[in-house]
Amino acid sequence: MSSDSRARLKPWTSASAMNVLDIQFMLEILPKMLFAALVTLEISVLAVVFSIALGILLTTWKLLGGKVSGALIQAFVEFTRGVPQLVQIAIIYFALPRFGVVLNEFWTGVVALTFIGAGYAIEIIRGAVESLDRGQRESAIALGLSELQTLFLVLYPQAARRILPPLTNELANVIKASALLSVISVNELTKVANDIIFEYFVVIEVLIELAGLYIVIIGGLIWLSRALEKRTRA
Amino acid sequence: MLDALPRLLPAFWVTIEVSAISLALAMLLGLSCGTARAFLAKRNPLTWLMDAYVGLVRCTPIIVQIYAAYLLLPKIGMRLDVFWIGVIALTFNSAGYQIEIARAAVQSISKGQTEAATSLGLGWWHTIRLVVLPQAFKRMIPAVTNEMSHLVKASAVLSVISLFELHKAATALQATSFKFVELLAVQAMLYLPLILGVSRIARYLETDVFGFEGKTETVDIR
Repeated sequence: MSSDSRARLKPWTSASAMNVLDIQFMLEILPKMLFAALVTLEISVLAVVFSIALGILLTTWKLLGGKVSGALIQAFVEFTRGVPQLVQIAIIYFALPRFGVVLNEFWTGVVALTFIGAGYAIEIIRGAVESLDRGQRESAIALGLSELQTLFLVLYPQAARRILPPLTNELANVIKASALLSVISVNELTKVANDIIFEYFVVIEVLIELAGLYIVIIGGLIWLSRALEKRTRA
Repeated sequence: MLDALPRLLPAFWVTIEVSAISLALAMLLGLSCGTARAFLAKRNPLTWLMDAYVGLVRCTPIIVQIYAAYLLLPKIGMRLDVFWIGVIALTFNSAGYQIEIARAAVQSISKGQTEAATSLGLGWWHTIRLVVLPQAFKRMIPAVTNEMSHLVKASAVLSVISLFELHKAATALQATSFKFVELLAVQAMLYLPLILGVSRIARYLETDVFGFEGKTETVDIR
């Protein structure tokens, strides 16, 4: 009963059997966590935009270039899929300064995630272009467009609609990967939460809030991806 | 780089071990729960529970799940070795995805199959075991092997809870030798054949052992 009375005296501050979670503390750290979630979103959106740009560039190169460039790009795709994301992040983190590119953590994170996302972006774009009717390309060539014009004026604009659902899904995956950036001390959501845990030694509250924020963001994106897919199919 | 190799190989073995044990456990859990989930009614507490679990796993990053296992398991009185915490975290993660794989595969088998089996006088157990599962397994194989390579990649994240697997071992060597890029290259060269090898085996299983004629409908949930 003593825990009961204690809980009544300090309603939200004691972690007794009455209230397991320290709601007050969770509310206190919420602004910090929301700001960090914003950083996570920022990094991920930038990375996805860049990786799509890189993906379009590499896909074009692959479709128009010779066998050698095709093999090179295939090797790149295999590399991004075959090496753990954490190792790729470490590679970017340590290798960029070696080549004289010194970026702050935020942009290092963006570059690393772009690298991770580009391999998948290539696959998404290739899949969308291949799903288009063959007649589109043939008639464009027959009308006298060059291969490059065909791609950019005819095929990519049509593929763009089909890219949207898998792209949203890809954004969700990149956000999950962005949590790994905490190991190179990018101040994103996981890093901030981890710092709070070891500053106050409060574990469960912070983890629940962290998971909750991720579920809202990623769950929302997965839902959006599904909704978009239904619309494009209809 | 060559000097580092013998010191990295035991750690590489830990990577393989932790991934393999987690895979086996997650398959057991995921495939059985997923099959059950496919047959449960929509309004069933078990369905809600499993859907919530799958949602939780799919919507949180693996590193958060690993931190959670590392920080929460001792709180509920389980003092385990980091290796086993890693196994639990990876199993927790992978089982969530595999429930979804199994559910999607089983539900993709046409309803006529179960109806035909029932009308032939098979009980529910025989219907599932003899008719539905053999067909569903075939569709699961690509997704499950995909999951295998995901697990190996996820095991690198276990370095954050200082499990001495390949990535952690290489990081430790980096700290003493300052050969950052070289050690990263060695890591890539060890991971790449393992993960690509897994997907090669997968393709072999798909085409040669289980004999997919052309392209069969498969499930993909990532």
